[in-house]
Amino acid sequence: MTESAPFDLLGADILTTLVFLPSIGGLLLALVPGNAKNAIRAVGLLFSGATLAVSALLLQRFDPRVVGIESFLVDRHWIPRFGIRYLMGIDGLSLSLILLTTVLSVCVLLVACGQKIDRWKGYVAAFLFLETGMLGSLVALDAILFYVFWEVMLIPMYFIIGIWGGKRRIYATMKFVLFTLAGSLLMLVGILFLGGVHAQATHFQSFSLLDWIPAAASGAWHLSIRQENFLFWAFALAFLVKVPLFPLHTWLPDAHVEAPTGGSVILAGVLLKLGTYGLLRFALPLFPGATFRFTPFIAALALIGIVYGAWVAAAQKDMKKLVAYSSVSHLALVVLGIVAGNAAAISGAMFQMIGHGLTTGLLFLLVGVLYERRHTREMSDYGGVATHVPVTTTLFVIAALGSVGLPGLNGFVGEFLILGGVFQRSVVWCAIASTGLILGAIYLLTLVQKVFWGPDRNSANRGLTDINGWELAGALPLVAGIVWFGVAPAPLLNLVRTSADFVVQIAHLRMVP
Amino acid sequence: MNPATMSAAAAAGVSVMSVAPSAYLVVGTILFAIGLAGALLKRNALSIFLSIELMMNAVNLLFLTYARMRGDAAGQMVVFFVIAIAAAEAAIGLAIFVALFRARQTVDVDKINFLKW
Amino acid sequence: MPFAPSDMALIVPELFLTAAGLVLLVAATAVSRAQEKQIALWSIASLVVTGFLLAVPASAGAGARSAFGGMFAADGYSLFFKVLILAAGVVTILFSLRFVGDSPYPGGEYYGLLLFATVGMMFMVSGTHLISIYVALELMALSQYVLAGYFKRETKSIEAAAKYFVLGAFSSGVLLYGISLVFGATGSLSLAAVSRSIVLGPKSPLLVLGIILVACGLFFKIASAPFHVWAPDVYEGAPTPISAFFAVGPKLAAYAIFARIFFSGFGHNSSEWTVIIAASSALTMVVGNVGALMQQNVKRMLGYSSIGHAGYALLGLLAYGSKDFGLSSILIYLTAYALMNLGAFGLVVLLETKGYAGESVDDFNGLAKKNPLAAGVMVLFLLSLAGIPPTAGFVGKYLLFSAAMQAGWFWLTLLAVLMSAVSLFYYFRIVRAMYLVEGTGELRWREEPAVTVAILACAALTLFLGVYPQPLIALAKACLLS
Repeated sequence: MTESAPFDLLGADILTTLVFLPSIGGLLLALVPGNAKNAIRAVGLLFSGATLAVSALLLQRFDPRVVGIESFLVDRHWIPRFGIRYLMGIDGLSLSLILLTTVLSVCVLLVACGQKIDRWKGYVAAFLFLETGMLGSLVALDAILFYVFWEVMLIPMYFIIGIWGGKRRIYATMKFVLFTLAGSLLMLVGILFLGGVHAQATHFQSFSLLDWIPAAASGAWHLSIRQENFLFWAFALAFLVKVPLFPLHTWLPDAHVEAPTGGSVILAGVLLKLGTYGLLRFALPLFPGATFRFTPFIAALALIGIVYGAWVAAAQKDMKKLVAYSSVSHLALVVLGIVAGNAAAISGAMFQMIGHGLTTGLLFLLVGVLYERRHTREMSDYGGVATHVPVTTTLFVIAALGSVGLPGLNGFVGEFLILGGVFQRSVVWCAIASTGLILGAIYLLTLVQKVFWGPDRNSANRGLTDINGWELAGALPLVAGIVWFGVAPAPLLNLVRTSADFVVQIAHLRMVP
Repeated sequence: MNPATMSAAAAAGVSVMSVAPSAYLVVGTILFAIGLAGALLKRNALSIFLSIELMMNAVNLLFLTYARMRGDAAGQMVVFFVIAIAAAEAAIGLAIFVALFRARQTVDVDKINFLKW
Repeated sequence: MPFAPSDMALIVPELFLTAAGLVLLVAATAVSRAQEKQIALWSIASLVVTGFLLAVPASAGAGARSAFGGMFAADGYSLFFKVLILAAGVVTILFSLRFVGDSPYPGGEYYGLLLFATVGMMFMVSGTHLISIYVALELMALSQYVLAGYFKRETKSIEAAAKYFVLGAFSSGVLLYGISLVFGATGSLSLAAVSRSIVLGPKSPLLVLGIILVACGLFFKIASAPFHVWAPDVYEGAPTPISAFFAVGPKLAAYAIFARIFFSGFGHNSSEWTVIIAASSALTMVVGNVGALMQQNVKRMLGYSSIGHAGYALLGLLAYGSKDFGLSSILIYLTAYALMNLGAFGLVVLLETKGYAGESVDDFNGLAKKNPLAAGVMVLFLLSLAGIPPTAGFVGKYLLFSAAMQAGWFWLTLLAVLMSAVSLFYYFRIVRAMYLVEGTGELRWREEPAVTVAILACAALTLFLGVYPQPLIALAKACLLS
């Protein structure tokens, strides 16, 4: 595509449309009066729906056989003096995460329509802007552009937790922002440093991954081991904070517990995945040597995270905290799959990123449904509510079973692939990781048992109403995804397989000395 | 003093005590140091101000000496500017101290602590 | 030094502004308090006319020219700063209209002094001779001492003036001593001649000491550590529009001369002075950002934050090796800095009532509900100050950091990044107050079209330059020192 071509919004520039459509909706909301609840809802659903439609269009046009990250490439000047470009493109991995993002965004707004939320306009606008940030991070191929979107994501999330959150929301949101920002600023230093290295090595200023990855693969940068180690950690820390890997995870339980339902869903569903996405997109292909050197270390942390997350989750009394710690455990498994470094493990990790987005998103959503009605998340306040809320119960059981990896649901496919790949690498890792999964089955089923079955002790639960139409509309797409990818994983696997092979191929070029 | 004037003076039979230019530099530097110390150590705003004036005049002496040593009139020109500016500074500074005294009944910098110093 | 009559043509804008300042000063003695607004409007008009007088020869394609025997340069570099300074002057007067009008102090001379300070800055940025720079700097500083203490019966204001005066006069003494040593070592005061004799002559310890003292004098003016102590006090105590002006105008001018003196005067001695600047930069970033953490008063917090920013901007001076990159990153950063600081102080002006009430962080409580636009704009400025995209502040910081990185100051860049993370903590305290805390009682808030327009203009530019910085980058590139 040429620099001066006119914008073709659904053709060559479809990624631009995808990214900025939600924020146009967010800006339009400024014109809508704050008490026009229905109009605000209409704008929110219209724009997130339209974004979903655009992403569906992408899926329809996407050719999963194409190797590389250049599909739907958008390449324009941005700051030519410093070689910074407005460069966007996708591959199967980013496309599947884009679909997850657009679907979850619509679901979150649908659920919110069925619940009472004050400062409604701000809520919808924050989610629309957040969607732009997430989609931008997923499509950006220029490191500076990526950084910009990465930081832009932070601001709406700060407000979502800080304004609509629970009692300790201010503490939680500040902790979230500082953890994430500290990591990402380090990444900025890494980007600057690498930009200088690249300019020196090739006499050409560029921050484009399309230039960086081949340069890294061919060894053109001539990085010393110390430099490469530093750069790897500058990038990896930003992403591992986001994942979050043990011991960087402490912001997550606070943020999840205090965030409103929608915030938790997006946080668990998409933001955490951006951490693993960043590892796959930046840290691994750019610094395969350092990745290889630090694999045992990161794998050890991931294994600790799997077991620790599951162990702590099992001890929780608060439903949201339990699900939050289960995320720590599950994401650590994804990280383990990534550093295992073979095609099976990496494609399993990619699959699991989507799968975890759906199951954990649904779990948070349903916990939110219960909280909206009873204003408590303590498991002991519930018990035997299945008779009052049969639909919620059914959905929750599906989500929990999907999460623990019941065959026939999506969790099974991802975990099986990852464990298979990890087994090829190390039997010990595989054994430890499996323990975490067994613990996972225990705590999630205990949660279901304590909340939905058992004696109907608490009289306050008698008047509990079942999930309403809006909430159901938001939950059903996730249920459909959980079942569909469990029964027929092939389409999604096809989508990510080429990306996984690509990563493995690049990694192996330099990983094996 | 350059040799030309010295020999002219000697020819006229006048005895000339010659002082090396470096001596002026030493005096100037000492004066500046005294001013600096006063500005940093004194607690009365007026004393501080006088110390700063001393610093400025020490600089004037240095400029004159260097101008003489290098035979460059630019150094002398500077002194006029500095004197003029020092006068303006005195006018404004004293006005501020008067207003300060009216507001606080003191010009002791240790007691001027309404703002964290 | 022969002066050609054509030399006078080059300083027509400055001459005009001086004349306008004098006329308005005299006129101010004759007007009633109700008519002071007229004086303010005339001052804005004369700043705008000065801008036109600057723009006409520039748009006619006049290149860099020198006048008065190498004392004054009319080049792109000075033009860039002059336009920014004039704009800051206009915004300050817009901020002052109500602020000074409602105060119990007659405001006529206020505007005259503001114009004189502006003239001083304009001469500073054009100065290419240590003495013309010094005289211009004093013109600016003397007007500022008075402006800081303009609310002379407010204890805070007069204290700020006294501290500013004492430390300012002290720093000019140090600067002057440094200049005299440079003169002694090189025998000249014009920057070009100093540079020549540094190349030709032997290295002398006298010269190095002179350079260090000149640097110390300038550290005072840009409020960088360890000579920063005046800044928070003065920003807190001065009338708020003046604090806004102090945070922007004099800093821009001081950076302009700092870069000019050190790049085109002492450039060939760079190995001696970069260490000092690096040390000051590191200390300044830490002192400013850590100091800001503890502040409750927003003006004082912005004062400390501007100390932190002075530390970042020093990074650009360190990139002497890749001089063009370093300098253009300073120009861009200072533009962003001016926009976001003027905007942030402007919002304090709107919140503030008589007797310095309304300056605390708590006074921002619940602003988002009362006035969503104001809160949103403030968030934009704070994000920009913290250097988060997509704002002008991010672009400026990014360029500075990469310039420092290219020049090999890796550890310093790392420290700067760390301090940026710290800065987010205190900037977000204001965001928290506005959005997350419920307002108690009624919010003091006044609608003021003049201030609102100025703030919105700053906000629009902050956002625009953050998303599309290319025009500014191209402009800065065209305005470098030759």
